[in-house]
Amino acid sequence: MSATEIVFLLFAALAVGSALLAMTTNQLVHSALWLVVTLGAVAGCFVLMTAEFVAWVQVLVYVGSVVVLVIFALMLTRQQSTISAEVTGNRWTAAVLGLVAAVGLGATVISGFHGERIEGHRIGTARSLGDALFNDWVLPFEILSGVLLAALVGAIVISRSGTER
Amino acid sequence: MSMFGKGLLQGLKVTFKNLTRRSVTAHYPDVQPDLPPRSRGVIALQEENCTSCMLCARECPSWCITIDSHKETIPATTEGGRDRSQNVLDTFDIDYSLCMYCSICIEVCPFDALHWSPEFAYAEGDIVDLTHDMNRLREWMWTVPAPQALDPGAEPSKELAAYEAAAEESE
Amino acid sequence: MPDVVDVVLRCVLVLAVFMVLPLVIGQMEHKAMAHMQSRVGPMAAGGFHGWAQLLADGVKFVQKESITPVAADRRVFELAPAVALAPYLVALLAIPLGPFFGQGNLIGQDLDLGLFFVLAAMSVGVLGTLMGGLGSGNKYSYIGGMRVAAQLMSYELPMVLAAASVAMAAGTLSLVGIAQQWEPWWLITQLPGLIVFFVAGLAELQRPPFDAPLADAELVMGPLTEYGGMRFAMFLLAEYAGILVLSALTTVLFLGGWAGPFSDHIGWLWTLVKVMAVAFLVIWARVAYPRLREDQVNSLAWKVLVPVALAQITLTTVLVVA
Repeated sequence: MSATEIVFLLFAALAVGSALLAMTTNQLVHSALWLVVTLGAVAGCFVLMTAEFVAWVQVLVYVGSVVVLVIFALMLTRQQSTISAEVTGNRWTAAVLGLVAAVGLGATVISGFHGERIEGHRIGTARSLGDALFNDWVLPFEILSGVLLAALVGAIVISRSGTER
Repeated sequence: MSMFGKGLLQGLKVTFKNLTRRSVTAHYPDVQPDLPPRSRGVIALQEENCTSCMLCARECPSWCITIDSHKETIPATTEGGRDRSQNVLDTFDIDYSLCMYCSICIEVCPFDALHWSPEFAYAEGDIVDLTHDMNRLREWMWTVPAPQALDPGAEPSKELAAYEAAAEESE
Repeated sequence: MPDVVDVVLRCVLVLAVFMVLPLVIGQMEHKAMAHMQSRVGPMAAGGFHGWAQLLADGVKFVQKESITPVAADRRVFELAPAVALAPYLVALLAIPLGPFFGQGNLIGQDLDLGLFFVLAAMSVGVLGTLMGGLGSGNKYSYIGGMRVAAQLMSYELPMVLAAASVAMAAGTLSLVGIAQQWEPWWLITQLPGLIVFFVAGLAELQRPPFDAPLADAELVMGPLTEYGGMRFAMFLLAEYAGILVLSALTTVLFLGGWAGPFSDHIGWLWTLVKVMAVAFLVIWARVAYPRLREDQVNSLAWKVLVPVALAQITLTTVLVVA
């Protein structure tokens, strides 16, 4: 076990542990903050797999913007941080379904990529990612931009339909 | 650009001009302030002039002056003359925790026993020490400045004119 | 020299810069702001024109009791200052100081993705003030926290876009690379980007005129209301460290970093001079301008800065491709 693998396992354990805490804590703000730890640990895993660019984008976008948005939405619904989240009676069903989904996804990914080795050490840079995106994966990239544009327009339409202009 | 953002640039210009000018702060404890003439700092008592007529104590709006005196007789200086009686001050206290520096006591005193002094640094740690007794008030007299000179071209005061007229007549 | 010693020395140097330069900027703010307002600022601490004022403040803060309100969310409240402060220290690791007497660049670690690393670190710092606002158990802090969330989220986009424009012009994301690729005419072609980056950075730091979250006439001190003692000092240090990081980023990205005569030997000095000049601009903006209202803050970000940043990217693309 090389040092990289040990640190990777530590980060992975941190990610899984904080994700569990994010799910089980009964204070919403704590849940959002454990999510920050989870996403940060995932970014650490990315760095260990030489995908530096993705790691910093993960921090910049997820931790810096998405979690802030989540917390902003929490604040707008005027939740007191001491009030516990609503607990539905379907908890155990949801847990079982989540477990089934996790096992299924995990099995798919492991059987698909088992035994692969990461070659070389310059493949996670911005240059290589840019090359791949704009040479091999241009069409999915453009479709994704279309999807994002549709989401943006939809959000504007929904938010404006309340006020008659 | 000059219409949009003109205010922004003006703000920057004003603050920069202020930066380059000397600041107007007075560095008080290191440099004594430049007080205007007739500044009211503390009231001084010229004990010799006081006849304990009680006018100042009566007229003070804050009732901050406490006066106590007794009569002494001065024997007659000439044969068959009348003994004179004189008021001697025992107590003359001004309580500066009550005084409102209105000058009424000084204006009203017929004998010029009370004077203004520009001294202001007499803060105390205990409010009891803010009552200045007769001796302390006499000490303040040494800090009373000379009366301010008249403005150029002003008429001399009536008292001075009457004095000079009497002096001329007696010559 | 052996690797471990090298790493430790670099960390110590970055820590020293992190502890000293924000204090210098803070003292400059005291004095420059004072003279702009026709007064003199601190004069007593340290004897000569109050140079030791911030050191005295540090000592004062250390000996104060750190109180946690009963209604506060204890762990969130207590962790918030650290979360606000640590990202700026981390960001300083990747910002270059310039050539040091021909010995190569003074930098914690020259990352290939230096620009992204610094921007990502700054965006994590946002969470600190947010946690403070949420966890204080105080209405005014809550409102301040909401304003912080909206403002910092809105201004991250123009900042990243403006920085991306410079990275495109230089062809690299490494901060050292960008400074080395800098050409003097970029001062003109990247001028909108410079203005957008500087204004967005000021708003990210919640510096006046963008301090609606901390509006002391309206919100006491916003998210920082319930903090006292060392925790408050951490927040204040985070603000000045943020000014340092913003000035350093502006210098390295838009003003050429260490460009200047004899830059091989005293390049680091040029960088420091430019950083202090930009910090002076930050302080000048505080004195000269009134606070923006919350809706003005948001409309400035989305209606002015984002379109200008996008236009700048278009211009840079045209210039790079042509």
